[in-house]
Amino acid sequence: MRILVVDDEKEFLSLIEKRLSRRRMEVRTADSGQAALEIVRAERFDAVVMDVRMPGMDGLETLRQMKQIAPALPVLLLTGHASLGVAVNGMELGAFDYMLKPVAINELLMKLEEAARSGGAS
Amino acid sequence: MTLLRKLRALLRREPVPTPEEEAAAERLKARFRERCTNFRQLLSANKQALEALAEAEECLRGVRPYGMKQIRSIVTRAGAGVFQMIRRLNALSGNRYPGLMESFSRISARMEALMEHHGPRLPGSLVLPLEQISLAELSSVGGKMANLGEMKRHVGLTVPDGFAVTASACALFMQHEGLQEEIDRRMQAAEGKGTEALFTLSASLQELVRTAALPQTLTDQILEQVAGMKARAKGPLRLALRSSAVGEDALGVSFAGQFHSELNVQPDDVLDVWREIVAGKYSVTAMTYRFERGIPDDAVPMCVGVLAMVNAVAGGVAYSRNPVAGGTPGVLINAVPGLPVAVVDGSFSPDTFLISHSHTPEILERHIAEKPFRCICDPVEGIQRIPLLPEEGRKACISDTLARQVARLAVVLEEYYGEAQDVEWALHPDGELVILQSRPLSLGETGEAAPSSAVPEACALPEPLLAGGVSVSAGVGRGKAVVVRRDADMLSFPEGAVLVTERAQPRWATLLSRAAAMVTEAGGAAGHLACVAREYGLPAVFGLKGAVKVLQDAGDITVDADAARIFAGYPEGLAPAAPRPNLMEGSPVQERLKQVAQLMVPLSLLDPSSPQFAPEYCHTLHDIIRFCHEKSVDCMFGEEGDFAAHQGKQLKAGAVLQYWVIDIDDGFIEPVRGSVVDLSNIRSAPMLSLWEGMTAVPWAGPPATNAAGFMSVVFESTMNRDLEVSTATRLNNRNFLMISSTFMNLQARFGYHFCTVEAQAGDSAHENFVSFQFKGGAADGQRRILRAHMVRELLEDYGFRVDVREDALFAVAEGYDAPETLLRVMLLGYLLIHTRQVDMIMNHEGRAKELRSRLERDMARLAAAARARRDHEETAQTPVRE
Repeated sequence: MRILVVDDEKEFLSLIEKRLSRRRMEVRTADSGQAALEIVRAERFDAVVMDVRMPGMDGLETLRQMKQIAPALPVLLLTGHASLGVAVNGMELGAFDYMLKPVAINELLMKLEEAARSGGAS
Repeated sequence: MTLLRKLRALLRREPVPTPEEEAAAERLKARFRERCTNFRQLLSANKQALEALAEAEECLRGVRPYGMKQIRSIVTRAGAGVFQMIRRLNALSGNRYPGLMESFSRISARMEALMEHHGPRLPGSLVLPLEQISLAELSSVGGKMANLGEMKRHVGLTVPDGFAVTASACALFMQHEGLQEEIDRRMQAAEGKGTEALFTLSASLQELVRTAALPQTLTDQILEQVAGMKARAKGPLRLALRSSAVGEDALGVSFAGQFHSELNVQPDDVLDVWREIVAGKYSVTAMTYRFERGIPDDAVPMCVGVLAMVNAVAGGVAYSRNPVAGGTPGVLINAVPGLPVAVVDGSFSPDTFLISHSHTPEILERHIAEKPFRCICDPVEGIQRIPLLPEEGRKACISDTLARQVARLAVVLEEYYGEAQDVEWALHPDGELVILQSRPLSLGETGEAAPSSAVPEACALPEPLLAGGVSVSAGVGRGKAVVVRRDADMLSFPEGAVLVTERAQPRWATLLSRAAAMVTEAGGAAGHLACVAREYGLPAVFGLKGAVKVLQDAGDITVDADAARIFAGYPEGLAPAAPRPNLMEGSPVQERLKQVAQLMVPLSLLDPSSPQFAPEYCHTLHDIIRFCHEKSVDCMFGEEGDFAAHQGKQLKAGAVLQYWVIDIDDGFIEPVRGSVVDLSNIRSAPMLSLWEGMTAVPWAGPPATNAAGFMSVVFESTMNRDLEVSTATRLNNRNFLMISSTFMNLQARFGYHFCTVEAQAGDSAHENFVSFQFKGGAADGQRRILRAHMVRELLEDYGFRVDVREDALFAVAEGYDAPETLLRVMLLGYLLIHTRQVDMIMNHEGRAKELRSRLERDMARLAAAARARRDHEETAQTPVRE
């Protein structure tokens, strides 16, 4: 499975890349919304994991633009921002689901498989 | 269509479908798959939402403390899950229930409003000089500064010159450049639990605050005030910056020693030190305290007092009432030479005076301690410790006249405020008595007779290990004696141990919730740590000489704080009194959870056949969850819709049973034309395993295949009338299966909810899983909880990860190969049938045990048989080598 992880925290990116790779996932990372959009234009993924709070283009705006580039690509929002309002906004913009950090790696894996299976059923 | 199926169709003399018909069938199949995907995602969201609800209920029972972080997380997970369910149901039903989203928006808007930050409203004054402060400014300047202003303006007492940096200033700072948002984010995302994780988080938050940018207008106003103080000062100005918490009264908590003060600060450093004190809100001690007392962060704005430093020759704390339960009544004065700071931080034992509570006070008791040093203002900045010669240290640091003067002041202040006061005072070099602060004295659980002092004389206690010191908080506590010397020792401090330290420093407050009692070598009843100990109801003896050395290797000890003595072991006749107060009870955090839980947890949609089982009658998230689950099953398995061909087939195994099977891919061997599918036509390995488990051991109850329906017998209601009502409804007795050759999802009726078993058992082990979840059921609460715990223990033996919250159980085993996964599916099938009786006998301990061991035995036998059979088959299939 090919996953793109978008987060401005470098430490988080390297940690999750390590953990997901260990579970036989092919992981690409982007440290900003802008960078993520570039990558999505050029490559194919089964799912995206994205933070909400990022400097520059935030996760919701990135999600909106990403849905125009690849409408069927499932995007999982994974954030430390526990806000129901933002969660609902994100899902209205087409996010596959809204998960809170910290997340157990097994839980994330199951959700990613669910997302990849859906292939944009949302 | 495969060649084989065409051949079969020919053999049965059925017409071969035209290409158009085939294409239409394929399209229908694709749409059907999409429906199945939607349904499965709805079930997954259902699980997420129910887990969050169960967590809320567990918190409300108040076994462990919880913070706003957890509540926000619960609210977000529950809300997001419900939103997903609505979305999936509307996708499944062709948007048949638009009213659901309206109900959800209504509920979630109220939930969000409850979760908002309750900070001070902007704008307000950023700084306020002491002359303009009275009690009316409490909410903007905090208790300490409001009282200081009040005493200066209305009581006419001498207080230091100064001003307050208000709650509005703090709020402005926290909003500047998104500082508060970043703090919230880091707190929410913090990984790990326990003291170590807390230290890491605390360090990162404090660093963030200390280095954050200050709004220009705040900088200007603070510096302007300091310039004014400089001009008024007689000599060179030094500052004392003291945190002044808002809400001490409103929240009924003391915040003793929560936030730090910085003494003898150079005026030029005022901005840095102010940020330092604001950062102190995120110290380990302060965060732990708020968490345990259920105080949300936003309920504690940091107000700071900036005061002229008083270079005291002596000082201390006066309590207008003796705060120690059972102690002699009177005004209690703690005094030290030099700055009074040594009293509050428990560096050494102070001189104590007990003075009659009157306007013409008499000294009742006087205890002059050996004071090792005094604190003075360093000529540059900060505090210096000047060692005292033994003969100097043994002298009383204040005269009896001054002691009486301080006592009278404490009594006057108590009368003025109408409640007992905790007064910090200092003696100016020119002989004037200066008040540094006065606040309500937290008396803890006083008034009641100390429990152990009632020990009958006849019950002879052994010789104590140690006796003496001051009882600063009453009660009896026991546990292993553990000496704590440095921060690192805090990480390894075990739950329920007796905390032994040299000095009564406020930073040890973090450990008080984990300790059974506390003993220190130095420190008095007026220190911050003593205040917190009384608040927590923790028995504590301070100032017990030689305690560290004696108790270091003492093992288990009993601390009798009422009589200030320590015993080895747990002597008979000296037992800890009633359990500690539940500090969450009535706290603002609990209050907010209660309010938001009202919008989430109660279930009012009980009867699916009632006309009120409709979106507009959904008042809580639970109602919506219930509605979505019910209607989604309706959509998938009901008789309406364009999916007649893929409609559920009723299962026949001997008799026709009350459950319906949908083939989502290749779960049937032969296509099924009619409305009934025979068990022999099922290819789905997980379903067959489940079936095997369900029928493996004859069940002692009513026949499993009676007309009432197979699975519904398993979970039939025994207690609840509302369930009886709904048994008449169309789908109520039905249980549902979605299958493919390697997949199975069972929805079985279970009280108000469905119980779900889902399994994937294919060739790639890392995709395989088997999960089981249920919530509630028919029996009463306690028995439901007991059942959930029993099932957990049984499943954990087979490598399931099981989470039980209240009466809800979530179990999953993943990553096993297909045979091992199927074995677990079979065991679940067995449990589904045989835990039926559990409800009824769960409160008979003996019979429950008996049942448990029978279940355990059966499961072991079934597992062993399955494995043996598999080994046998494998051997049979392996070609024998010559």
